[in-house]
Amino acid sequence: MPIAFAQTAPTSSASANRALLDKYCVTCHSDRAKTGGLTLEKLDVANVAANAETWEKVIRKLSVGAMPPSGMPKPSPADVSALVSSLETSLDKAYAANPNPGHATLHRLNRTEYTNSVRDLLGLDVDAASLLPPDDESYGFDNNADVLGVSPVLLERYVSASRKVSRLAVGDPTQGAVAQTFRARPDLSQDKRVEGMPLGTRGGLLMHYNFPLDGKYVVKIVLARNTVDVIRGLEEAHQIEVLVDGARVFLASIGGTSDTEALVKNPAEARMMIESRLQARVPVKAGPRTVAVTFLQKDQAEDDYILEPFIRTTLDPVNEAGLPHVDQVVISGPYNATGPGDTPSRRKIFVCQPASASPANSGDDVGCAKKILSTLAKHAYRRPITPTDMETLLSFYQSGRNQGGSFDAGIERALRLILSSPEFVFRFERDPSTVAAGSSYKIDDLELASRLSFFLWSSIPDDELLDLAAAGKLSNPATLDGQVRRMLADPRAQALATNFAAQWLYLRNLKNFAPDPNEFPDFDDNLRVSLLTETEMFFGSVVNEDRNVLDLLNGDYTFVNERLARHYGIPDVYGPRFRRVTLTDNARRGLLGQGSVLTVTSYATRTSPVLRGKWILTNILGTPPPAPPPNVPALKENNEGGKILSVRERLEEHRKSPACASCHKIMDPLGFALENFDAIGQWRAKSEDGAPIDASGVLLDGSKVDGPTSLRAALMSRPEVFVTTLTEKLMTYALGRGTDFSDEPSIRAIVARASADHYHFSDLIAGIVKSPEFRTKLKTAPDVASPPVKTASLLQENASHN
Amino acid sequence: MMIVTKKHLSRRAILRGIGGAAISLPLLDSMIPALTAQTKTAANVTPRLGCVYVPHGAVMDKWTPVGTGADFEFGPILSALQRHRENVIVVSNLSHHMAEALGDGGADHSRATATWLNGTHAKKTEGEDVRAGTTIDQMVAQKIGQSTRFPSLEIATEDMTGLIGACDVGYSCAYMNTISWSSPTTPLPMEINPRVVFERLFGEGGTLPERLARMDEDKSILDQITGAVPRLQKGLGAKDRTRMNEYLENVREIERRLQIAEKSAGSQISMPNAPVGVPDSYEEHVGLMYDMMALAFQSDATRVFTFMMARELSQRSYPQVGVPDPHHATSHHQDNPEKLAKLVKIQNYHLTLFAKFLDKLKATPDGDGNLLDHTTLLYGSCLSNSNIHNHNPLPTLLAGGGAGTLKGGRHLKNPENTPMANLLLSVLNKMGVPTEKVGDSTSGIADV
Repeated sequence: MPIAFAQTAPTSSASANRALLDKYCVTCHSDRAKTGGLTLEKLDVANVAANAETWEKVIRKLSVGAMPPSGMPKPSPADVSALVSSLETSLDKAYAANPNPGHATLHRLNRTEYTNSVRDLLGLDVDAASLLPPDDESYGFDNNADVLGVSPVLLERYVSASRKVSRLAVGDPTQGAVAQTFRARPDLSQDKRVEGMPLGTRGGLLMHYNFPLDGKYVVKIVLARNTVDVIRGLEEAHQIEVLVDGARVFLASIGGTSDTEALVKNPAEARMMIESRLQARVPVKAGPRTVAVTFLQKDQAEDDYILEPFIRTTLDPVNEAGLPHVDQVVISGPYNATGPGDTPSRRKIFVCQPASASPANSGDDVGCAKKILSTLAKHAYRRPITPTDMETLLSFYQSGRNQGGSFDAGIERALRLILSSPEFVFRFERDPSTVAAGSSYKIDDLELASRLSFFLWSSIPDDELLDLAAAGKLSNPATLDGQVRRMLADPRAQALATNFAAQWLYLRNLKNFAPDPNEFPDFDDNLRVSLLTETEMFFGSVVNEDRNVLDLLNGDYTFVNERLARHYGIPDVYGPRFRRVTLTDNARRGLLGQGSVLTVTSYATRTSPVLRGKWILTNILGTPPPAPPPNVPALKENNEGGKILSVRERLEEHRKSPACASCHKIMDPLGFALENFDAIGQWRAKSEDGAPIDASGVLLDGSKVDGPTSLRAALMSRPEVFVTTLTEKLMTYALGRGTDFSDEPSIRAIVARASADHYHFSDLIAGIVKSPEFRTKLKTAPDVASPPVKTASLLQENASHN
Repeated sequence: MMIVTKKHLSRRAILRGIGGAAISLPLLDSMIPALTAQTKTAANVTPRLGCVYVPHGAVMDKWTPVGTGADFEFGPILSALQRHRENVIVVSNLSHHMAEALGDGGADHSRATATWLNGTHAKKTEGEDVRAGTTIDQMVAQKIGQSTRFPSLEIATEDMTGLIGACDVGYSCAYMNTISWSSPTTPLPMEINPRVVFERLFGEGGTLPERLARMDEDKSILDQITGAVPRLQKGLGAKDRTRMNEYLENVREIERRLQIAEKSAGSQISMPNAPVGVPDSYEEHVGLMYDMMALAFQSDATRVFTFMMARELSQRSYPQVGVPDPHHATSHHQDNPEKLAKLVKIQNYHLTLFAKFLDKLKATPDGDGNLLDHTTLLYGSCLSNSNIHNHNPLPTLLAGGGAGTLKGGRHLKNPENTPMANLLLSVLNKMGVPTEKVGDSTSGIADV
């Protein structure tokens, strides 16, 4: 009976809630009908906490206005909100009495975190994609601790990566020559200047390359050919240059009369003759450098035999006219290496120099080695160094020094140990022995420092964080607040855009998106990269400027360069540099107006209202639809059955099946509202089949929309829904585990607090950082094989629609 | 577009490199195989299989020997194999019916590679739903490759993934990019970079003392880790402890491999230096690939490989033998004698490189004989007359002693239209994989 439970709602409210449920919900959600796999018929409204999982689903459906479905009688908004807040109050009280922070598994650095950690530890940019195998993704992110497992292959790659990284960082003089090939994507247009290239140049490739040693390197250029192997664009003479850090080191001439004649006579021989001229052997100092291979800009009359040429210049695979393009650049070396040089990583590692340059093992050398290694190990292990650590490191230093015969070789050997140590590769969090199993405890300050830095920077903590943590001051609320704000202002917080947002918004899929060139002849790699850049900069601006996160939906500005401005029809933007512009066209506002999102939710040949609707449900509204039931027929192809149907008509056909309709009537209208954006995000008035766009529809909460502007207005009318979804996503990413119903009270509290002051981004972050989920941990019983795994997400309904 | 700016732009927008490929192929020295010659007794011979593909068929009247049985003369193409005559069986009149259009239209280049080693008709699709058949190299690998570090190796020389429109219309590039399928839906990618192959096989290479020193270093690091794990496990939750236990098992597994590698590292097999990357010279590229296959056989790193010496539709030119014209263009010879002569040169040249591989195998002692004695090599193309894209009769030969199962020095002339799959079936059975049918095979070829 209700009276027996302290945390229950007052009986009067419970009976009102029951009455409301009986009147509006139980018709479908009865024990017999069990629509959507849910019955509310006998669920105890007086003891809400006992069925927290179910009630959290109810709250979510009611909050987004999805229930009762359109066409059914609806309670008044006031009644709904009374029911929701009464349910929330009960659940939040129960949570406050007994918080369950959950327990993520031992976390291993994933590729991105490894790369960033090496960058911050050693001042070295490495490409982890070539060092480590790819990470699995779970709950939408690749930093999920549960799936970051170990295997012999993985371990081997971490251990061998440690050798490669430490050699490169120290500048091991015994490194041999290697070659790396850089390729232009086949759809990269090169008829204009590339951002980062000197003025007066055209096209080409810009590469970052870590030159391992001072020495000679060979830069070999391969020009683009058409499918019958003829180098493109050689009728006219051109000059091509190689620049290292902006300074020209090589210039060659190609094309013109003699090359053209040679090509006519014997294409293959001419190709070899021409490419033999395109090899630069140049001395380069060790360290990260920018290598540019580009053409000198020539005055050129526009071709006038095509009135409106396509923007993409690589469309015709047989064409050999036009301007030459760079296809590949191969950098190989070092040859005749002269030494490790003066690199950022050496400056970072060698914080002192041994007093004696002689091989004698003087005490001063050991002193300096200690200083170097303690600095490195402290950052890599993310904690103060113990005498035992130092003893081990010094023994590796000594054996490296003895074998390699130099101070550097000793440091390299010890660095290798640091990088292959499990204390670098894993993020250990230990249960204190004083805490009983089954209860939660506060993680210590050093663990907190790591959680913070991997959340906000996807990397290791810096000195300031470590020092505060070591002194036990980091968990002080004011200090913590200050640190969060400092970290968000740091350039390393860019990881929130390039790592968090890129996964949340599916931007990572852009690189695999190749629209049908017959439908979208202008889509080229320049546009693909611009689309990604726009959204990363846009999200970054919300982080950096600590804006209201609702700007992500409704911001009146974005970032474009000439290529993208042309795509969007924004006038007066010239050149490859990105700049902020204020949007005059309301349709373009926010993420839903950005080509990146619109593209990754389309097919190669057409838009998909279904994919777009699903994307909005999942990433904006936080109510992803369940997987389609098995054996669903695909949309009929248009050439079947004679009459040409629009996508809308075909989807209407599809929705005639009740199994399909239950989800599609929710998804499709969201997607149709964006139909004025084509599959690559350009505005259009007519659809693929030539019919005028019909963007009208009725959303799940009954609001009528007729395009992106009214869709946005409808989404903005329930701001807390979007903010809750974003908070959930951030929380999933911050904790490295899926969130579920038991985390909802915490998320609600964060959103409620942030709502008091314009939903500043930093308030969401601060809320997460201060939440029990982030600050505390559940101690699991030692004899239990595994703690309760958070599996069933609130977001993943299991309702079957068969 | 490759862009550099100070702040906002994604660093991913920039093509990046790092100390070159030195860092791109991490492999422990524990991966260095037991570099020791196989000391097998006659009763315990290890059979090996290599399948070598060349594109664009052959000029058949210049390929097919004159005379049959042991009494035959090599033609101008196969003359390159003269010195290995006693180790070669030319198998004539084979046909791959399943590579024909069968209603699917053109695209014979794609079907050629997709059918060659399985005798099945590839599904026409450009999507991810590719379907052909498990190839015989993989059936063999599944049987005899499991005790080696690499059940099989797949290598090639040309990467055309960056070229627009480089594959047949209507067919996924997967069909043309490989000749090896581990299941009907799993095409195996072929590696073209010798350095990648090398590092997979041998780690970073180097002299014996260098290798031993690196193994030593790896061992001391692994020892250190093993010693530290119990301390690290203190205070961990149950699930975390399980993960650390797995980790420790992994460490021990690698230590074990390292010990095996170290024990056998003392042999005197010379180890080539790690190649820098893809060489400019085709001859050097192919030579490196073959050298590594020989070394992989010798050290028992693998017993099965497939090699596409060139790709269908290849536009490579061969000025080194007087053919500066692109191969594919030349292969549409329209019976022009000049073009036919050039094709013969290319085809003979490919066999010259293959013959050098046979030299190498023959010069490598293995058990009671040499590697060539214990190897079965299938060499050929799945086009016949490149001008008309037919798949009958196919240029095909076997080389090697097949571990006592092959008797060379013969031209084995079959009845016309004998399914090529029959030869595949015979190879399988000789390799110790008892099979009743491969693709459209009707029986084995009794005399092989």
